[in-house]
Amino acid sequence: MVNNEDKEKECLTNCLTTRRQFLFMSGAATATILLTQIPGLGLSNAFAVVAKYPRQKIGKLSALKQDMPVTFSYPSKDVKNILVKLGAPAGAGIGKGKDVVAFNPVCTHMGGNLEKAYHAEYKVLGQCPFHLSTFDLTRHGIIVSGHATESLPQIELELEGDDIYATGVIGLVYGRNSNI
Amino acid sequence: MIRVFDTLMPVSWDLALDVAAEISKYVIKNHSENAWACKTYSYQFIENTYAITRFALKDINTPAFAWHDSPAVGEESAGIAFAGFQTFGPGYWDRANADVLFISGTDPYETKTILWNEWIMPAIKKRGMKVIMVLPRKTAGAAFAEANGGLFLDVYPGTDTVLHMAIARILVENNWVDMEFIKNWTSNFFSELWETESGFGRGTRNTHWQWITTWGKLEAKGFEDFKKWLLGEKESDINTASQITGVSVEKIRKAAEMLANGDGKKKVSFGYEKGLYWSNNYLGTASLGSLALLTGCGNRPGRVLGRFGGHQRGGLGGGNYPGNKSPDKFGGRRRLTMDMDRWVESGHVRFAWVVGNTWMSAMAGSQSQMDTFNKLTRHNPNQVMSLVKEEIIETLKKRVDSGGMVVVNQDIYLRDPIGAKYADIVLPAATWGEENFTRANGERRLRLYSKFYDAPGEAKPDWWIVAQWAKKMGFEGYDWKDSNDVFTEGARFSRGRQDNNYDALVWMAKKKGVKAYELLRKFGTTGIQCPVIVVDEDYKYDRPGWEYTMPKAMRDSQDIRADGYKIIGVARLQDSEWKLPDAHFGARYIDPKNLTAFNTQSGKANWLKSPWDIFSDFFDFIKPKEDELWVTNGRINEIWQSGFDDVERRPYITQRFPENFIEIHPDDAKARGIESGDMVLAYSERIPVWKDSNMGTNALDTKYSNLVKQGHIKMTKASVTAVAMVTPAVKKGVSFMYFLHPTQPANSLAPRVPDPLTNQYRYKLGVGKVKKIGESPYKNEFRAMTFARRDIV
Repeated sequence: MVNNEDKEKECLTNCLTTRRQFLFMSGAATATILLTQIPGLGLSNAFAVVAKYPRQKIGKLSALKQDMPVTFSYPSKDVKNILVKLGAPAGAGIGKGKDVVAFNPVCTHMGGNLEKAYHAEYKVLGQCPFHLSTFDLTRHGIIVSGHATESLPQIELELEGDDIYATGVIGLVYGRNSNI
Repeated sequence: MIRVFDTLMPVSWDLALDVAAEISKYVIKNHSENAWACKTYSYQFIENTYAITRFALKDINTPAFAWHDSPAVGEESAGIAFAGFQTFGPGYWDRANADVLFISGTDPYETKTILWNEWIMPAIKKRGMKVIMVLPRKTAGAAFAEANGGLFLDVYPGTDTVLHMAIARILVENNWVDMEFIKNWTSNFFSELWETESGFGRGTRNTHWQWITTWGKLEAKGFEDFKKWLLGEKESDINTASQITGVSVEKIRKAAEMLANGDGKKKVSFGYEKGLYWSNNYLGTASLGSLALLTGCGNRPGRVLGRFGGHQRGGLGGGNYPGNKSPDKFGGRRRLTMDMDRWVESGHVRFAWVVGNTWMSAMAGSQSQMDTFNKLTRHNPNQVMSLVKEEIIETLKKRVDSGGMVVVNQDIYLRDPIGAKYADIVLPAATWGEENFTRANGERRLRLYSKFYDAPGEAKPDWWIVAQWAKKMGFEGYDWKDSNDVFTEGARFSRGRQDNNYDALVWMAKKKGVKAYELLRKFGTTGIQCPVIVVDEDYKYDRPGWEYTMPKAMRDSQDIRADGYKIIGVARLQDSEWKLPDAHFGARYIDPKNLTAFNTQSGKANWLKSPWDIFSDFFDFIKPKEDELWVTNGRINEIWQSGFDDVERRPYITQRFPENFIEIHPDDAKARGIESGDMVLAYSERIPVWKDSNMGTNALDTKYSNLVKQGHIKMTKASVTAVAMVTPAVKKGVSFMYFLHPTQPANSLAPRVPDPLTNQYRYKLGVGKVKKIGESPYKNEFRAMTFARRDIV
């Protein structure tokens, strides 16, 4: 993980959430994480903007059952997210199988609630009840099919022993102009 | 910019257009106007298409003219038009007020977002409307429709005709047809009434099918004749049909049950797009029209057949196509509009003006066509090596005299390869937001696109570029001061159009003493549904959907009223239940028949046959052999703006689709050792290219097998890479790619043999072998792409 201004500048032209970076600046501390680099992608190193928040314990790894999402609030009480053990390795996944991830389940298109729309067979969230968008939880919440033009916001996780901590949000929760 | 030493050098507008005008004049004088070609978009605003067509068709009068999406001008869905349907007649209201909606060759969730989100999906959810969708792969919309009481028919590419015939036969055999409608609204040769045979005393002579064939194979002499023909065709047999189409007998029967309308009470609508008419153009559309008529569909609210449409519509003809100059001809019949790709292929084009499209990248067999462009432009020895005007002109004259071609590309971006590699002159165009323009949507809703910032650099609107160029060539009447001038001048040319007839709007603006744009601006983003017509001031238009024809504030305002008249919009065309108000159409011309009747001599719909055997020799040749797969293609919602630079410019789209993908059924993938994320090659050594223009003399000369016999077809090769996506959403034996990826164009594999009846391509009938060539970087990484199936509900 890196945290400096140069990377943020680079990110303006080349990252998951481009124009929104400006908004992060005014709120919580920001950082960029280097997403796994892919040779031949034609993009230079790709970074995602992460809004850093106070580290918060959100659950225990041993309590998670595969494909049974649980909910938690982060970074504030009114933001409800899902934590799920996918049983398949995922981008930014934690745990032995790199398969534990957390997302804000509000569709980035127009705010449809996807909390109950997890498909265990495909590791996909959706279809959105509003306009049928679907998102791949193994791949940073990228759009599978539909109208959304941003990935689902992913909650950055850390593991300490059996405790799972949320440490930041990659992307912007729907309807907000900053992550605060 | 002018290409000098193979580098595009910025030059003044004057220099660029002086050269374009000089070479144009030279080519027309020495090689004829047939050697001066125009390939242009058909939709990028009324003002521009008017200016472009006025210049190319009226003033230069060349037959070498084609739109962005097809090799020749003409009906895009001829069978449906010939039957008498107005292809853009329906309103969106009708799409949400059917009981059953049959959708062919498109998923409006992917390609017509507003129509789906605002009309079709709410009707499925709230009214329980049933949707039947016909596609070779299940998309998100198809999956949603199926999960909500609808039906998904998984058809092999190009076989819709047979599916339609089989369903039609079940309807006929069970008397599940709307006889009341058929008696009243379809043509009958044997009737003593004023019908097909007797219209204006000209019989069927002036109907389109008579223009394209004398075989007597396409027209039915009324319902009884159609029925007799249908029952005699082996393809209408449900088992044969199931075998050809790949759709199960149960599903075909279920579709027929859903469409059954013996008591005429069910409201059945039909919508279609390119999956239908770009795979088997004439037969697919003719058979869909006849199927629709059986269900009582065609001329009542909620019972309509029409295109869903794609992009907004901004076409306006400023000149007539000189059909008599075209080198193409139907077998034994009239001339056909020119197939421009063949015209270039055979070396007849010396000057090509390409406006707002990529030409070869978007056409069928695109790699073979690039070869031709290379030969005629970059590989010609006469290349510009100077910025002196006289020397540029001298060099390019030598180019055209040596059999080469000069290319002028006019676009809002520099596109590769047409601009970046082939163009000698690149003209930068201004687009929406940078100039006032007008367009209409898929239900003829005309709106003003207001200017809100300046165009970058010296980019100019297309009509301005045309005007300067035309004036330099000595043509008159190009003294437009602004877009409104062009819009106003074009009004009278819009009268014959179904999708954007705005003549009466301009008439009203003049009465009110305001610019036409000022009046249109008052209609806001709601706009007004064309055709705009003039009625008595106190006339109340109350046909279903009337409330959407214009904003409420405008309905009540004085802005649309003058001299005891007012203007209104129209919810749907050919609305048979609408009792037209008396007179006053004379105030501004409009053909009242368009408003209430079918577009035929008699005002009744025509029955068309769709004999499979006029297509089957081509189909038998093209269909996959041995380990080949269909490599069909289409649009997806995330990269809707094909051919623009979404894929390159928008970071999120680049991340989601860094490369083209190919959907493969798990069984086909397994047989080839392919997994999701593998890089594969789709390739073929048997892509047929119809290489030269020719005149059919005998009736069957342009049938595929006869073209081969007569030496008009050559075989070409092409290959395209893509990242594999293994999914049961695509039918076994079929693979699917996004159609216009800039570096991996799926239509390289499409046959360059248009439907000989209509000169429309069969883009969807790509075929090839598919093999693994390695793993893509996305296979085991998480940042870009996804291989999750697209049909999850």
